Amino acid sequence: MPFEPIAEPNYLRSVIRVSLTVSLTAIFVSTLVSLPIAFLIGFADFRGKRLVTAIINTGMGFPSVAVGLFVLLFISTDGPLGSLDLVYTPEAMIISQCILAAPVITGVALSAVESVDDAVRDTAYGVGGTRTDVALITLKEARYGVITGILAGFGRAISEVGSVLIVGGNIAYADGTSKTRTITTAITFETRRGEFETALALGAVLIALVLLVNGIVMRLGGR
Amino acid sequence: MVDNHETDERPLLETTAADRTGGDQPMNLALEDVSYGVDGTEILTEISLALESGEIMTIIGPSGAGKTTLLRLAALFEQPTGGTIRYDGTDPWALSRDDRLVIRRRIGMVFQQASLFDAPVARNVDIGRRVRWSWPRRVRAFLERLLPRQFTGSPAVDERTLEALELVGLRDAWDRDPASLSGGEAQRVSFARALAAAPEVLVLDEPTSDLDPRNTAILERAIERSRERDHGVLLATHDMHQAERISDRVAFLLEGELVEVGPPGQVFNNPRDERTARFVRGDLLYDDNELPA
Repeated sequence: MPFEPIAEPNYLRSVIRVSLTVSLTAIFVSTLVSLPIAFLIGFADFRGKRLVTAIINTGMGFPSVAVGLFVLLFISTDGPLGSLDLVYTPEAMIISQCILAAPVITGVALSAVESVDDAVRDTAYGVGGTRTDVALITLKEARYGVITGILAGFGRAISEVGSVLIVGGNIAYADGTSKTRTITTAITFETRRGEFETALALGAVLIALVLLVNGIVMRLGGR
Repeated sequence: MVDNHETDERPLLETTAADRTGGDQPMNLALEDVSYGVDGTEILTEISLALESGEIMTIIGPSGAGKTTLLRLAALFEQPTGGTIRYDGTDPWALSRDDRLVIRRRIGMVFQQASLFDAPVARNVDIGRRVRWSWPRRVRAFLERLLPRQFTGSPAVDERTLEALELVGLRDAWDRDPASLSGGEAQRVSFARALAAAPEVLVLDEPTSDLDPRNTAILERAIERSRERDHGVLLATHDMHQAERISDRVAFLLEGELVEVGPPGQVFNNPRDERTARFVRGDLLYDDNELPA
């Protein structure tokens, strides 16, 4: 029996490319925002710190469909960002994944920074370090936790479906390649139309990606 | 104020405390009626003492007497709530943060528990020198670490770091992971880290409390060698024999109050204060020398 491809390779490649592009960009942006926030909260001592930490931890469990709806209201024609014409674009998906990943990265990185022993800070100060040196040395000690946070954020972003479906629209071009169709939304779409082989192949890719990320997280966590 | 530390790469044993100041006099420490309290609770009350260069002064006293607080004040970790600390006659807390940093960098501190960073021993030891580097130099060093050593030509470990490790008997341990060190070795690395930055005043908070006799002897020898190079050493200890062995003067601290300061012979054999005598005999804490039930 001749080999029959389960789906058009260009289609699969474009779906994976859109997924990775959106999620990696979202993680890059949310890392740039989240880490300074985590470090500022971790190093500062202020009233309401516990409340802020609680809000961040709550954000780690934001329902993705609610975030998608929230983002859609913001970017829709009547919303504050309506003029940017972002509805059903990869940029809108990046925004929603940023909102989902940022609390995860912030929360895990904050926990990593706070778990660094005070003795490390004392030592860094005692060797003649400035406040910047103390912060950098503390961050270096927390580096595995920080990286774990980034990877956990990526895991959340790449595997979520609700918000990208709402703000991205799961759109493919006329030639069948993906515009805003990610691995997760493609799985939903292919399953719904009975293309189980294609859905399973995409599911395998997604699981492999998540396993890879979790493997890295476990390896770092086991140090 | 001028920080001479960044460019000074001379071998440790060739530098004395006076070299560091760029003048004739090595750095002296004086506490003038220093008090410290937290949330209304006074921990130290009007402490006055002076540490000369080339002198080892040991602080003894029961747990909770305020020894660690006194050392943290001396090392400029905390600001006194009363009185004045002076280094070479200057109150560091009256200076800007940058000028105070120059003084801080002339002080080395070793804590009771060795706290080593998650990096090889050599990088733990040379951290005090690296934080003194300019940012361009740090960036260059960082980039060099990313390249194979044969391209950069930089040595795996510099001589100053090895020298500091040699002073604590761990020259060959420069590439070891801190997790592979025993508690005694880790504490010796902590001491080497303080020495590598060539401080003029060493502040040591019970550095040998968890060490075996061999490791203790190695650290005591390193402390004495610091004295030989004119460094002032302020050392807190519970080990009366150690205080008697290596101190030039002993200060007895009780409930935040400095009771007596004098040579070891006086404090241990002929104390002027009855409370010192009782502490040295070991019966200060409990009336009638009875232990609690």
